[in-house]
Amino acid sequence: MRFYNTYRSSFVLLLVAFTVQFQAQAQGWKFSPAINVTATQGAGIFHHVESSGRRNIAISKNTVAIAWEDNRNNTPQIFLASKLLTANAFTNEIKISGAGEAYEPSIVALDNDRFAVAWEENSHPYVRLVTPAGLGPTLRVNQQSSSQVSLAVHKQQLLLVYSSQNSKHPRIRFQQLEIAGQTLRTLQDCAVDVEPVKEDQSYPTIISLKDALIVAWEDRRPGHTIIMAAQSFQKSPCKFSKPQRISAGRTGEKRRPSYGKGHGVARVALAKYGTHNVLAVWADKRIFREGYDIYAAHYQANNKTLFGLNEKVQDDFGSVAQQWHPTVAGHDTGNVVVAWDDDRDGNANIMLSWLEDNQWSDDFEAASATGPGEQTHPSISLDEQGNLHLVWLDRATPGGPTRLRYAFGKR
Amino acid sequence: MKRLTLSLIGYLFLSVALAEAPAGYPFLSFDKALQQAAIEKKPLFVYFGRYGCGYCEKTNKEAFSSKQVREIYSKNYVLAYVDAESGKRLQLPSGERITEREVGTRYHAFVTPVFTFMSANGNTLYQIIGVQRIEDLLSADAKVQQHLSQVNKP
Repeated sequence: MRFYNTYRSSFVLLLVAFTVQFQAQAQGWKFSPAINVTATQGAGIFHHVESSGRRNIAISKNTVAIAWEDNRNNTPQIFLASKLLTANAFTNEIKISGAGEAYEPSIVALDNDRFAVAWEENSHPYVRLVTPAGLGPTLRVNQQSSSQVSLAVHKQQLLLVYSSQNSKHPRIRFQQLEIAGQTLRTLQDCAVDVEPVKEDQSYPTIISLKDALIVAWEDRRPGHTIIMAAQSFQKSPCKFSKPQRISAGRTGEKRRPSYGKGHGVARVALAKYGTHNVLAVWADKRIFREGYDIYAAHYQANNKTLFGLNEKVQDDFGSVAQQWHPTVAGHDTGNVVVAWDDDRDGNANIMLSWLEDNQWSDDFEAASATGPGEQTHPSISLDEQGNLHLVWLDRATPGGPTRLRYAFGKR
Repeated sequence: MKRLTLSLIGYLFLSVALAEAPAGYPFLSFDKALQQAAIEKKPLFVYFGRYGCGYCEKTNKEAFSSKQVREIYSKNYVLAYVDAESGKRLQLPSGERITEREVGTRYHAFVTPVFTFMSANGNTLYQIIGVQRIEDLLSADAKVQQHLSQVNKP
């Protein structure tokens, strides 16, 4: 009888597990087969999609565009490929940067199939528009040595942040640019944190809301890396609030460690979702035995604390694996999706998690971005219908040449 | 003079506190170390640390401070230090441009410190993770040297 009860309980548990798993799969994303973003690939060619804030893909009206860096001309340069949302292949490939060494392009969508791309070239930040009428003129936005550019848009203005290397410690700076036809003009230019910089500030990113803008970055002021943020308002964008820490310290520690200053974090990304929500995601090593895990915090409008409690995005199965390169995309309806690469299946694949009823979903493998080899460095965007557009790097072997791949996901 | 001495002590303490490469060792950047290893036909010892890393600081103070460790590691290996959270750019012999953080990703430096013994072409021979004592570093060197002597047997 005891055996029967145990057997019956196990069967019920199995049935529940199967049902839960089936439901999770049924609610997941269905991806198109992966396609190449560029035909320029092969031995000795290495693509990079590693903008500050991980913004390498954007969607404007009917067009999806991807910006990246590769070394096809024996020097790193910036390229952009685009296609209509309904097309099966990327066709319009153009070089964005000049003849110098160029890195880390960030792309943002404007209206009517128009985009803006910012990048670092010869250690200076540059920006230009890419529209159906062609390429706009290039604007060098700062005469000082700078890197790690990230872009956002507000009405007819571009909002740009970067890490200025003009002193011993890099500092985050902000610029507001006016869009006039194909050209850009600087309106305001300021440091985000006006206090003297005592340790490095790096890898900034920015997001724009109706009345506010938020900048987040890596900051080493406590003797280890933390994520910080500041906000200002559209009517006076250079009046930033005092920076606040987003990434929390370790919890449950009864005493200060004898060595070191604290745990590591890296590479924050921001996305707007709903009407006035922002999610910050980053890689966080607070549980040091697990390495970096994916953490997030929500912006709190009208609250003294800019961002709320930290949440672990990945599920518990990710604890035994390595997670890298988190990125995030949001939608006006309130959907928000986080992507990263994850080796829980023995090799690096792209994983997703999204908010459902204020809970993070089980981790979900993006089917077209999984399998043999390595699938890493995702960047994502949601179109008007809420479909997911994903770009990533694919390698057959570690250290081997890369392919830039794209897939489209539907729920 | 007293002020200068105090400043020097402060500087040395700060260097250790921020958990960079241990003082007194000829650590190179990863790309330069690969070039050097190819020239000298020596294996690499790659220290993956990060800014503010406590266990790096502990290992620096308690193990890398050993004269014996310093002599053996400086003699047997080309030494490289990688800040596993840094965006510093490097150029690999393959022509690939890579940041220090991405080197950490490639060699699975998901925690710090990680110490990776590599062949001159960057293949992992042996890896030790976390805080190390003097005897741990000496033992790891002995294992790697034994392995290399077997591999290099005529």
